[in-house]
Amino acid sequence: MSKDKASNPTQVFEEWVTNWERAVNSFSNKLMETDDFSKAVNSVQNTQLQMQKVFAEMMAKQLANLNMPSRSDMLDVVEAMHALENRFEKMEMQLKKISGAMDGGAKTKPKGPARTKKAPPEPKK
Amino acid sequence: MSTEQTERQSIKGQVDRMINRTVQRSVKGLEFIRSRKEPVGLTPKDLIYEKGTLRLYHYHSNAEEVYRIPLIIVMATTNKSYLFDLLPGQSMVEFLLNKGFDVYMIDWNDPTQQERHLGFADYTQDFIPSCIEKVQENCGEEQVSILGYCMGGVLSTIYAATHPDGPLANLACLTTPVNWHEMGLFRHWNDERYFDVDKLVDTVGIIPGDFIASGFEMLRPAQKLASRIRVWDNMWNDEYVQSYRAFDRWGSETVPLAGEYFRETTKELMWKNKLHRGEMEVAGKSANLANITIPIMHTIAEHDHIVPVAASRPLLELVSSEDKEELVLKGGHVSLIAGPNAVKRMWPHVSHWLAKRSV
Repeated sequence: MSKDKASNPTQVFEEWVTNWERAVNSFSNKLMETDDFSKAVNSVQNTQLQMQKVFAEMMAKQLANLNMPSRSDMLDVVEAMHALENRFEKMEMQLKKISGAMDGGAKTKPKGPARTKKAPPEPKK
Repeated sequence: MSTEQTERQSIKGQVDRMINRTVQRSVKGLEFIRSRKEPVGLTPKDLIYEKGTLRLYHYHSNAEEVYRIPLIIVMATTNKSYLFDLLPGQSMVEFLLNKGFDVYMIDWNDPTQQERHLGFADYTQDFIPSCIEKVQENCGEEQVSILGYCMGGVLSTIYAATHPDGPLANLACLTTPVNWHEMGLFRHWNDERYFDVDKLVDTVGIIPGDFIASGFEMLRPAQKLASRIRVWDNMWNDEYVQSYRAFDRWGSETVPLAGEYFRETTKELMWKNKLHRGEMEVAGKSANLANITIPIMHTIAEHDHIVPVAASRPLLELVSSEDKEELVLKGGHVSLIAGPNAVKRMWPHVSHWLAKRSV
């Protein structure tokens, strides 16, 4: 076996990559399991979020000074449009139901293959 | 032929093969760099319902007859559903269609800022029930089966627990986390002493896909580079390269999450572990897993680094179903769905389990 490995450099390389991957993952996971890591990562994230918030507020003030809509104003407009779309969709569905009822109310049978397939036999053990 | 001659021929054969592969790596490596994204999700399908982030697809069946009860696959909310339809021959959807199932898929698009308020109540009391209604209209059958993957499994179990008298006939879950205190590094990084989920959600609204993808990558920091080395080593092997590119594309197309949904996942599941404790409530209804009495199966991946076995295993202990089955397979969180062991064992097993209960 060891002779086979020695004469097959591809296999040796593949094994080396696998071992390297395992070692790095294992080492990193141990490092990331510590409280210090969790604390540090979340602290950096909180700082970034704080900066993002301050920047967004400053930008909103500037846009207001320039008499231009802010991102949240635009989002409100989009939200209102979505609400309208939803109302149209509901109205469309109601209309379809009404027109179906006017056609006699008979449900059309869905197309597609027959739903008659039987369960397969138990596999032999 | 003497031993010496045999060894010489063997060495010559290996040298020839190495030279051949090195040439092929160079030629195919250039093609690899120049080529576009691998086409995925090719099984023909119709979009039959959409609502914001939600998409419901119906796959075309070529069978003359299908099982009576249709199957709805509920994809995890963080990724695209084409993992189930990766490539021809490497597609669970294709396999199920060939076995005679009528297959539907709930897929998720990037939620918009207007959808940042979506929470568990929307996913489990609006989206899944609406999709079931559409499936019932589409196929004319009252009952349905659900196959939920990862968070799709969590949403499906919450739906099942809050609709014990509903039209759900069977529930199959794939690597579904239940005991969130066993979620390993995720649990550690989201430690409530340090992680300010409210600040994150209130600031960004929608949790970016990159943020989620980097969380997954950090679990196995060396995996990406090792995979790239392996694909270079196997560049001569077209099948290997095609599969790598499809998986790589899927891994890079992470779906962002609605902020409220992320907040609820963190607080209700990760911190308070309510699903495991039987204290989960959604839209005023109890989502105690003990409410589930229908046939249920759960497939778990032995080497799952995203949802460890200890996090997923309690599902069957907590449901009240008499007809329940667990399948533990070798493999990881993703290879469970589309890896070699999936093709050989998971697909046939799940198909057989569902078939018996879908007539």
